[in-house]
Amino acid sequence: MSSFFGASTSTTAANSTSTDKDLEVADPPPDSISSLSFSSQADYLAVGSWDNSVRVYEVGTSGQTQGKAMYQHNGPVLDVCWNKEGNKIFSGGADNQAKMFDVTTGAAMQVAQHDAPIKVVRWVESPNMGVLATGSWDKTIKYWDLRAQQPVASVQLPERCYSFDVQYPLLVVGTAERHIQVFNLNNPTTPYKTMPSPLKWQTRVVSCFTASQNSGFAVGSIEGRVAIQYVEDKDNGSNFSFKCHRKDTVPNSKDQGMVFAVNDISFHPVHGTFSTCGSDGSIHFWDKDARTRLKSFEISKDFPGPISCTGFNRNGNIFAYAISYDWSKGHSGMTPGHPNKIMLHACKDEEVKKRPRK
Amino acid sequence: MVLAKHFKCNMCPRRLNTAGGLAVHIQQVHKLEPENLPRIENAIPGRDGYEVEIFGMEGIPAPDVADYKRRKEIELGLAAGSISQPPAKRPKTENRPMSEEELKAALEAHKALMGAGSNEPALAPADSSSGGVYGAPPQAYAAAPTATPPGPPVAMPPGPPPFLPPGVPGMLPGQPPYPPPFPVPSFPPGPPPPGFPMPPFAPGMLPTGMPSGVPPPGIIRPPFPPAPTFVPQQQGSASPFPPPPPTNGSMTSVTPTGSSVPATPPPPTPSSQPPSTPRMPVLPVPALKQVLPSFKKETDLKFQDPNFSPDELRAYNPKYCIAKSTDKAQQGEESRGKKRARAEDFL
Repeated sequence: MSSFFGASTSTTAANSTSTDKDLEVADPPPDSISSLSFSSQADYLAVGSWDNSVRVYEVGTSGQTQGKAMYQHNGPVLDVCWNKEGNKIFSGGADNQAKMFDVTTGAAMQVAQHDAPIKVVRWVESPNMGVLATGSWDKTIKYWDLRAQQPVASVQLPERCYSFDVQYPLLVVGTAERHIQVFNLNNPTTPYKTMPSPLKWQTRVVSCFTASQNSGFAVGSIEGRVAIQYVEDKDNGSNFSFKCHRKDTVPNSKDQGMVFAVNDISFHPVHGTFSTCGSDGSIHFWDKDARTRLKSFEISKDFPGPISCTGFNRNGNIFAYAISYDWSKGHSGMTPGHPNKIMLHACKDEEVKKRPRK
Repeated sequence: MVLAKHFKCNMCPRRLNTAGGLAVHIQQVHKLEPENLPRIENAIPGRDGYEVEIFGMEGIPAPDVADYKRRKEIELGLAAGSISQPPAKRPKTENRPMSEEELKAALEAHKALMGAGSNEPALAPADSSSGGVYGAPPQAYAAAPTATPPGPPVAMPPGPPPFLPPGVPGMLPGQPPYPPPFPVPSFPPGPPPPGFPMPPFAPGMLPTGMPSGVPPPGIIRPPFPPAPTFVPQQQGSASPFPPPPPTNGSMTSVTPTGSSVPATPPPPTPSSQPPSTPRMPVLPVPALKQVLPSFKKETDLKFQDPNFSPDELRAYNPKYCIAKSTDKAQQGEESRGKKRARAEDFL
């Protein structure tokens, strides 16, 4: 069973399985990498880890990396993001707090508080002001004006927030029990749309389209599947879903019986193509409009382990991915010697540029 | 309904629907006695009489129907009975959360079936009719409910890591050269992705994103993005990261005991020792418990919990769970206290 994207034919763009050309970030965290985010101004990479820390790396012109800063949470860090100016880093963690790190002064301070771990942090640059949005397992999203102690707004979600993404003025939340809520940030407190996830299994990640004519988002589930969903009803005909991150139970049996979770979806900032990564240790680049796969990486051939998170830098010529354990097999999967790496891939145009539609 | 008229009178061009109809026609039109009606022409031998009255598909004798189906099954190579007895429809499953009573009943039934910890084996409520298994000895089904075969684990080679543990001083000189240099990011950051309606700018605001790469008038962008200047590093060390904990090359820090929190100064909690009992997240609304939908074909789903994300399960693991039992209450008190203070400030 081939995937919707026609896995058999359309992978002309170098199915190179080796990661030998990808560069490893020096001094990675000692525990799993939960999140990574590039600055929107320069090639700085912020990395959140289950070891309670956020690390900041500078990526040089030839891909060499150097640790620049580091700060701590009181619990595992679950997400990181940058503000628009690229001088502040925000992070949310299992200590129910969000922190702001000022890269010019090196000071970290608490800027948000929830009643449960903060799973997602995103900077929202609205025309009037920038606010920090935090989504938590306490079933709320809160918006924080950093000058005030209290949130400017708090939105009750139907369930625990698992993932949300912002492409102003669109904000899409994926929660437990497969709820999806779409917000228009001009009116951030009332959902523009509420729907069940187009996928039948637990939502793992939600990611908004970039560089797209019509606004929409991609949903990844634990059952190796991604749905492409447009916001407006008129585009409903373009909605579709496809299978990915599956393996044969017996090699070459083509049954694709082993089904892995989709851990992260990252859209290319310029071309609007996107990446998916999964517990199976592979990464794929896709073109949602041509419905083709552009590239496959079988990272697990070199480093056996799930890919926990991914991200493009601001102009999309660097793709960062983290090889680390994602708890998909529970505690017993946490074997000593599990790789914990952040890799940088230099994107070629043919890997990330849209194909003309067939 | 228009039906073919197969029964032709051999004395006139008239055609009729049924054998009986033909008989009446011959008697009335051609004035023949019922006893000496002619045999029906062109009929299968033995079926040329007037006894069987078939109109359309009605009135076919049951033995003939059965015989026909049997012949068809043989002809099409189907299993016996597959035409005559179509497969039963899939029983309708109700897709709704079970109520508390139903859950209780199901639990009781399950317990009874498992025969676990109960001396009264027939505890299963009579109304929880388990269909065909009713009255069967519970042992016969003891293993059934949990008989999901464990999926083949993905091979994860144990033993020493194939690479040096991260952060060990001295690993840097061995780094390979960097063959493909990244494109030099020396131009100003590109325009924001088009496609989204540009928000209107508030008057006087610096335009935060122009649809084209043209810098806004009057503002000269620096040739290089305003890279933040980081704090000067203390001690002049090569890395701002604190050295990893004493390590002997094995990643003992990720052993299941989780006794050592790696690399970083311990969190400023009174005890970083995790509680010994493993914690599980609790569903906020048990009635909304989700169940994995079934698969159409045999599938080895790697992550199976429909109610909690891997991250939630991980966060509740003792290795990561921050010592909530000891100072959650305090923290709660503290934050509430702070909030009150803040509220007063605002007043």
